[in-house]
Amino acid sequence: MTTTDHTGQDTQQPAAPQPLPPVDPQIAAFLYLEARLADEGRYSEWEQLWAEDALYWVPFHPDDDPRRTLSYINDNRRRIHSRVAQLNTGNRHAQTPPSVMRRLLSNMELLAQEGDTVSVGSNFALFEYRNQQRIWAGRVLHTVRQGPGGYSLVSKIVHLTNAQGPVETLAFLI
Amino acid sequence: MTAVETDPRQDAGVTEGFDVGRVVQPDRVHGSVYTSPEIFQREMDTIFRTGWVYVAHDSEVSEKGDYLTRRVGSDPVIVVRGKDGRIRVLLNRCSHRANRLCNAPQGNAGSFRCPYHGWTFSNDGSLTAVPMRTGYGEAFRQVREDLALAEAPRVDSYGGFVFASLSPEGPSLAEHLGRATRAIDRLLALSPTGTLDLRSGWMKHLHRANWKMVVENNVDGYHALFTHASVYDAVRRAKVSHVPSKVDVVVRDLGQGHSEIDYSAEYRKLDEEFVWYGRAPREKLPEYVAAMEEAYGPEQAHDALVVGPPHTLIWPNLFLAEMSVMYVEPVAPDETVAYTGISAMPGQDRFNERTLRRAEGAMGPAGFLIADDGEIGMRNQAGLAAHDPEWLVLARGLETDIEDDTGIVNADKSAETPQRGFYRRWADVVGQETRG
Ligand code: FES
Ligand SMILES: [Fe+2]
Repeated sequence: MTTTDHTGQDTQQPAAPQPLPPVDPQIAAFLYLEARLADEGRYSEWEQLWAEDALYWVPFHPDDDPRRTLSYINDNRRRIHSRVAQLNTGNRHAQTPPSVMRRLLSNMELLAQEGDTVSVGSNFALFEYRNQQRIWAGRVLHTVRQGPGGYSLVSKIVHLTNAQGPVETLAFLI
Repeated sequence: MTAVETDPRQDAGVTEGFDVGRVVQPDRVHGSVYTSPEIFQREMDTIFRTGWVYVAHDSEVSEKGDYLTRRVGSDPVIVVRGKDGRIRVLLNRCSHRANRLCNAPQGNAGSFRCPYHGWTFSNDGSLTAVPMRTGYGEAFRQVREDLALAEAPRVDSYGGFVFASLSPEGPSLAEHLGRATRAIDRLLALSPTGTLDLRSGWMKHLHRANWKMVVENNVDGYHALFTHASVYDAVRRAKVSHVPSKVDVVVRDLGQGHSEIDYSAEYRKLDEEFVWYGRAPREKLPEYVAAMEEAYGPEQAHDALVVGPPHTLIWPNLFLAEMSVMYVEPVAPDETVAYTGISAMPGQDRFNERTLRRAEGAMGPAGFLIADDGEIGMRNQAGLAAHDPEWLVLARGLETDIEDDTGIVNADKSAETPQRGFYRRWADVVGQETRG
């Protein structure tokens, strides 16, 4: 509801929603690279994108506090390394053969910028084929840091549309 | 080659004249127990409608009015703590025209109002309000109390684990659990307060496999070296060797369908704490260790921390997966939902956080272990489409099983003793005479 004073002007009207700033094309390109390496199962190259203080998180709900709540995935840098190492054995049964995947990353918006670090929010749709085709979709939040050696991925948080479950196997890189 | 007898699929599962001996024998089970829709229906009617089934943990409904929606076999239910403090398991079906009454996964409510025509039920199940009641005439007053929500006639708990039986008669929960109470005790012995908190959320993992494939895999001591080779090769060595001849790890049929893999002898031999917890040194868990010693004294605490949690399947649907808890809901002969959470220790936030991260690593749809178990289960279901040989072999270790006062034990952890126990119970329950 909007209240109107005697001058006929709106008061207490919240500011109209404003579009968020666009994302630097260089950063977008880095996120497309991340998507492509994940799609193509190029695990070790994908791993190289990550910063040391990494977080790869797939929660049940966006408001979850990971200190008290279980998630589908909550990997630090070390666990990312283990995940990749397991996939690289070629003997991770849930990914032998690997899923054939293609994902679209879209509606990219700059959420925050602080020094050398930017946060980007996007929507994604992922088509995964393994015995049958499945569609995964949701919101993905990337935090990217620019360093002397280029960009690195600090965090990737995936809010699945179907996080309420039940979910099928997520042994690929979502 | 398998001798071709009369085809059990022709009449197996038909309620009348169901001969369970044609699908379960002491050392083998017939493929149809995993694939037949008739047998699946019979399981729903017997295992899940006559016996005790795990439904929830009391920490999840700790306050009056707290409720959860779950399923008992194919029946949707509301597990709710009523105004009177009692936990009930109400069937989630409006007594008017069957609309699903409660549509949230969990919450707190004094009453449930049906969205269709507005009938309202108290959280003890009684019908409290019917809009435009005069439309029913005087006779309605008398039937009103007959129109309370249906409820599981028996609800009981052990160590906070709440079970329901949809049958008014049968063995008590204590009789049903039998030796499995020791597994729950073993878990509670790791809690400084002697209680657990299961409110850290549940992974819901869809398995394309029969529910029995999912649960019997959990107490299979044979598969790890193969199914999970990628973990041991790439990530970490097994906590103790998976080669049965090298370890004092036993499998045990606890009776009544319950079974376990028991590491306690091996751990006691090592006399090392937290082998079961990634070998975390006690210095990394100071608050937890102090609380354990405070509660139980240094000696008893040490023993509990050496022995660790149970790895025990409680018939038919609850798996105490060490510090994780898994329960399953059968959906269809080839579809199962597995719910995985953790046993959090009240007041031990740092320890619980570690347990959460460990569970995420191992369990659920992205877990290093369970994602592969799920894949194997799916392939098992796919393999069953080939109809010859008709039987699955569960004979491993049959000659070396030893019965003692803890159950039927096999010192070779790769023995199929747990599976034999599971199917002995299955045959008793599913083979029983059924009504109609
Ligand atoms: S079906 Fe519930 S009020 Fe009619
Ligand atoms: Fe396994």
